[in-house]
Amino acid sequence: MTFKSDIATLAGKSSYWFLHTFMGGGSSLPGKITTKIDPNVLTELGKNYDVIIVSGTNGKTLTTALIVQVLKEKYNEILTNKSGSNMIQGIVSTFLEAKKPRNGQKPIAVIEVDEANVKLIVEQIKPKMFVLTNIFRDQLDRYGEIYTTYQKILDGIELDPSATVISNGDEPIFNSVELPNPQIYYGFENQLASGNFKAHANTDGIICPICHHILHYHYLIYANLGDYFCPNCGYHRPELKYKVTSVENQTPVESKFDIDNHQYQISVGGTYNIYNALAAYAVGRELGVTPEQIKHAFDANERIFGRQEEIHVGDKDVTIILVKNPVGTNQVIDLLTTENEPFSFMALLNANYADGIDTSWIWDGEFERLPKMNIQQFETGGSRYKDITFRLKVAGVPDDKHIVQPDLEKVVDDIKKMPTKKVYILATYTAMMQVRSILAKRGYIKGGQN
Amino acid sequence: MTMSIRVAHLYGDLMNTYGDIGNILTLQFYAKQIGVEVTSDIVSLEEDFKADDYDFVVFGGGQDFEQTVVADDIQSKKAELIKFIEANKPFVAVCGGYQMLGKYYVDAKGQKLPGIEAMNHYTEQQHDHRFIGDVVIENEKNGNKYHGFENHQGITFLGEDEHPLGKVLQGYGNNGQDGTEGAVHKNTVGTYFHGPIMARNGNFAKYMLFQALQNKYPDTDFTEMKKQVKTYEY
Repeated sequence: MTFKSDIATLAGKSSYWFLHTFMGGGSSLPGKITTKIDPNVLTELGKNYDVIIVSGTNGKTLTTALIVQVLKEKYNEILTNKSGSNMIQGIVSTFLEAKKPRNGQKPIAVIEVDEANVKLIVEQIKPKMFVLTNIFRDQLDRYGEIYTTYQKILDGIELDPSATVISNGDEPIFNSVELPNPQIYYGFENQLASGNFKAHANTDGIICPICHHILHYHYLIYANLGDYFCPNCGYHRPELKYKVTSVENQTPVESKFDIDNHQYQISVGGTYNIYNALAAYAVGRELGVTPEQIKHAFDANERIFGRQEEIHVGDKDVTIILVKNPVGTNQVIDLLTTENEPFSFMALLNANYADGIDTSWIWDGEFERLPKMNIQQFETGGSRYKDITFRLKVAGVPDDKHIVQPDLEKVVDDIKKMPTKKVYILATYTAMMQVRSILAKRGYIKGGQN
Repeated sequence: MTMSIRVAHLYGDLMNTYGDIGNILTLQFYAKQIGVEVTSDIVSLEEDFKADDYDFVVFGGGQDFEQTVVADDIQSKKAELIKFIEANKPFVAVCGGYQMLGKYYVDAKGQKLPGIEAMNHYTEQQHDHRFIGDVVIENEKNGNKYHGFENHQGITFLGEDEHPLGKVLQGYGNNGQDGTEGAVHKNTVGTYFHGPIMARNGNFAKYMLFQALQNKYPDTDFTEMKKQVKTYEY
């Protein structure tokens, strides 16, 4: 260790100790202090780990959590970062907070990395694996377009041509650039490849990267994910090594499916979460975890689905779901169609930096499907309540079933007044944090900020 | 007889990145208040556009790559699009769509691509910089303020016979230099406004809706119907 990084590590660790002991929590501050003193400190901190980097626009957090869960079946020590700490300073903090690795097995670090930070991390740490979930349009004001977002990830991967890249084979963009790296694809092969159609018109990323015609599909899973091919030049989905071979049952709180003809179950709904589980399965299999162990890991009764947990407020069962872009929102709307009981629906829209300051994307969400569901009461709120309110009116939500309430304190008051036991709250990031903090203040959930 | 408006959503499967489809949904919403039916077709690559088949065109913004593919294809639709525009039919073109109605635009890689020259503006490129943020303008004809969100690297300069949609009160507008936003020629409006422009600016949506109706049904008096439309602004 160099003297500089020694000092940097010490400064960072003591600030972590201070924050942890006296302030009741850590933050990215230790990372900030440390990187200020030694910008290359991660080289030192990370060198004793086998690192797996998880990136992509949607599903990073849950995929990371599931990989950790799966690898616990085989490895004793796994370092991982908290949700939201996926930029360089948060990642430095994560390594600083780690206990010193014991001798013996080389510890594994499973690190969720923001797309724009992949290069910064790989400049200092050479990962063993990259795991890529998908590239959907995501907060264009911050990240730009899907091709530039993918290029940012590629800029990192190019620095480490020996690392294995495990990516979603159903995502056309992941097959658009040739890489020297060993590549493994996962995806869905649960249908006959007999169809021949285009994706829904309002879908991004559907142009053939080779000849610029519009891609067709043998079958679609959602958005632009599926068994794609180009009718003009023959470009097509790569061969999948790990496959979902059937989907048996989906509810908002549970999914049953087969991977490579073994049955698995996860206690969370949504097709996108089956992709996340499949990615974790692929990583586990590559590192020698058996299908039985993975089944055990998925069954483990641990709360890993933090972004979709159920909260009890009086007699209501409340599920808060983070939404931030059209594909994610449409997946949540899909998930709601699997709800059998009548429910109430709240949509809370903020437009702070972390939410994305452009609210135009709500017009690409399929809110028109909501009035056809068994929704007894709608409510809209948040700092941009006018945008989301008008969006739902245009979608056909009737005025007499629609409460408009900008103030989130009052929105929380209204939960108890909903006419149904089940309440779903879709919220952008800062709106979700504010609601959670209000719920915490009133004693419905522990803690406030996580 | 039910009145109807037929919308062409030009390259709606490729130029669809910033919620611009909300313009069509909003048009449908207001039309429904007065019993007018709005139908919409996507007209995309290798498909014919016929001016006589439509009463309204919406042409949205897209990603750089998609826009270069569209820029190539749109030349085959040039004559009919100009015919549509010159017939005074309403046309809302946003961001990339706006750029392609002009003389040319320079893309993110510095290539100069021809537009269809239906209007006289042209678009250059800023180096490694985008105009991103809320934008507010004032229309100097009617005094209305319009709200939107802009996110563009291209900088557009107006040509002769074009006047801006409005004067910039907040944000950047066409080019961040001359205080103009958008361009108007006959009933064609080019703009950088996402949000979408017709959703956030009900007065503008209502104006365009009745332009379309008056154009299609020239002998009808729409005074009463105009009173029935309740608009939203935010």
